[in-house]
Amino acid sequence: MSAQRLRLVADPVELLQPQLAAVVEGSPPGERRLRLPLGRLDAAVEALTGRGGQLAALFPVNTPEPSLLAAVSFQGELVALRAPLDGAREYPSLSRITPAALLPERELHDRYQLTPLGHPDLLPALSPDPDRLERRVVGEQTFVIPYGPIRSGVFESIQYVIETGGEDILGLHVRPFFKHRALEQRFVGLDFDQAVQVAERIAAIAGVAHATAFCQALERALEVEPTRRAQRWRVVHAELERIANHLDVAVKLAEDAALAVGVARFGILKEQIQRLRARLCGSRFGRGVIAAGGLAEAPLLELKTVLQALDEFERQLRRDRRLLLGTASFTDRLIGSGTLDRATVEAYAGVGPVARACGIAADARFERPYGAYIRVGGRIATVDDGDAMGRLRVRFHEIAESLHIIRQAFERLDKYGPELRDELPAASGAAFGWAEAPMGELIYWVEVADGRLSTVRISSPSLRNWPLFAESFRGDVLTDFSFIEHSFGLTPAGADR
Amino acid sequence: MIEWIARGLRTGIVTTRYPKRPEHPPAGFRGHVDLLQPEHGSSELEALCPTGAISVATDGRVSLDRGRCILCGLCVAADPERFAFAPGYETAARQRASLVAGEPGPHVLDELRATLGERSRTLRRSIHIRHVDAGSDGGEEWEIQALTNPYYDMQRLGFFFTLSPRHADILLVTGAVTEPMRAPLLRAWETMPEPKAIVAAGTDACSGGLAAATGTTAGGVDSVLPVDVYVPGSPPSPIALLHGLLLATGVLTREAAA
Repeated sequence: MSAQRLRLVADPVELLQPQLAAVVEGSPPGERRLRLPLGRLDAAVEALTGRGGQLAALFPVNTPEPSLLAAVSFQGELVALRAPLDGAREYPSLSRITPAALLPERELHDRYQLTPLGHPDLLPALSPDPDRLERRVVGEQTFVIPYGPIRSGVFESIQYVIETGGEDILGLHVRPFFKHRALEQRFVGLDFDQAVQVAERIAAIAGVAHATAFCQALERALEVEPTRRAQRWRVVHAELERIANHLDVAVKLAEDAALAVGVARFGILKEQIQRLRARLCGSRFGRGVIAAGGLAEAPLLELKTVLQALDEFERQLRRDRRLLLGTASFTDRLIGSGTLDRATVEAYAGVGPVARACGIAADARFERPYGAYIRVGGRIATVDDGDAMGRLRVRFHEIAESLHIIRQAFERLDKYGPELRDELPAASGAAFGWAEAPMGELIYWVEVADGRLSTVRISSPSLRNWPLFAESFRGDVLTDFSFIEHSFGLTPAGADR
Repeated sequence: MIEWIARGLRTGIVTTRYPKRPEHPPAGFRGHVDLLQPEHGSSELEALCPTGAISVATDGRVSLDRGRCILCGLCVAADPERFAFAPGYETAARQRASLVAGEPGPHVLDELRATLGERSRTLRRSIHIRHVDAGSDGGEEWEIQALTNPYYDMQRLGFFFTLSPRHADILLVTGAVTEPMRAPLLRAWETMPEPKAIVAAGTDACSGGLAAATGTTAGGVDSVLPVDVYVPGSPPSPIALLHGLLLATGVLTREAAA
């Protein structure tokens, strides 16, 4: 049985080496590195995505030489296909193979002047002009609503170009990068402690995930394993961040449905979590906690206090959740709104609650376990609905699961030594690091030279999911817009970087 | 629906009484960084700060610019004798220069703090706020939204968010002002009726923060528009924002009288 099973699982190295003359390079566990010619990159990506792999990242790297790197998430591993550029500024477009490459290739074209040959829609992505609107739907009595970058309410800046005949949404184009701050560039030359500050500030609402993914990339590159105690605390902070994000989505959805008490109740629950985080580490966003090699500081609260606060929180949440999901005027707006099918999500390599609401068990915490998730058990929450309601249900399942994970993480904490941090050597190296942010899988590529950052690249779950947002309008009308948008729970700051 | 009402009533009142009564932040809260020892600094201190908030004069006098401070705590960890976190939240200021600690100069903050409670009591008109994200990291938006939750409930002080800048009295700007956001921000400001005020919320809006050095941002709102109140913090807590908004109402009432 097991021998048969082993044969069924295609090894990426076996698969590609004979066909494509790919050279296997050494790498830390969890990632595989293959070097191949630039002209073969598209064929290699096709070989992997054709067997269920998903394009997770596409960016130029500089170690050991300037190359274009495509990372494919494939059977529990990250397969890094690195094609040396050798001065070339053109490459065969990957968008012909997977639509997941459409937006990243536009960004690479603008930022690094790398031209994808055969890209079907190479419009400028960076520095968008809010007054120049692209149209694709042509017809009488259709018009364009430019929604954003300044939008109704306290929201981050992004622009949606909505093509409509008056009520139906006929076409939607997402235009991120209004908030592009060039923070990947900001890392260059910084030492590890300062660089973590940049990572935390790429997306504040996923700051713990960013810091974790960044520090894990550093630790993998320099071959240091953080202490067990630090790993467990990282999990606690990450799960609190996830709970706060999912509650934020519940607040916004309740607000869209004008459910005043619901807004107040979930606002209270979210504030309770934010205050617990402030009491735990001094920051409402878990900043200044995670450091390269472990934790920067010891937690300010006793375990018992945290557990008591979470018990009380869970009691309250259960009632509010039952009430919310039992309110027909609320659920009616979500059921059937913004429905995505599984095939579309897989084609675009969607991640996070968006993918899990379509029955895809994609979760970096359990697919490629890192840190304390190797030892802490958990269940990937999935539903098959694919609509806004499904995404909310996934979020509620995940809050329950996060509480379960935090309690497990605390269980063995007193058995570990008190050490919080191992110093990282001022050495050189390059590696991937990843973490499951509240919006989905977040991937960092980090290159270090003598204790200073030389290159940092980020593949953000928000940017990966945004094309799916445009795909989710099938027969939805303008009044569904905010429900669908908030059910995605994405952050422009994280996408724009 | 009856159940929701019952649930609401059972919750009771959780709202802070700030500014009538002081709010007590939790122990260890990172509200701002205090400069404990401003004398005898070496120039090496400047390198501790990733945003250049620390400067040392030739006579060894240290100053800390809270408008640049992102509360990362690297200076606190390196030199706890000189720098320390303080839980205070009344950090907003009318002048950019008064955010600089350790530098002799007018401390507008102290005198204003005394009149804050009084002013919010006599505030009869309603103040409408339009928020614009000009390139924040998303944290400020969460804290601004929190102002409407029952813990802070800014409506009790007469503050309301408005969707149109034409109805707004205060423009609440977050972020360092990226290039694509410059024109929309200016347009929002131009359409606002007089009297109007600008509040820069967060260290990024005050000085650019970490995004100042990337060359893709203007490095703070005041390089684009005249800022009336600076609320430093990364991100500023909801109470700090409330304090900043109360300061801004002073601007509005004074200009209306003139």
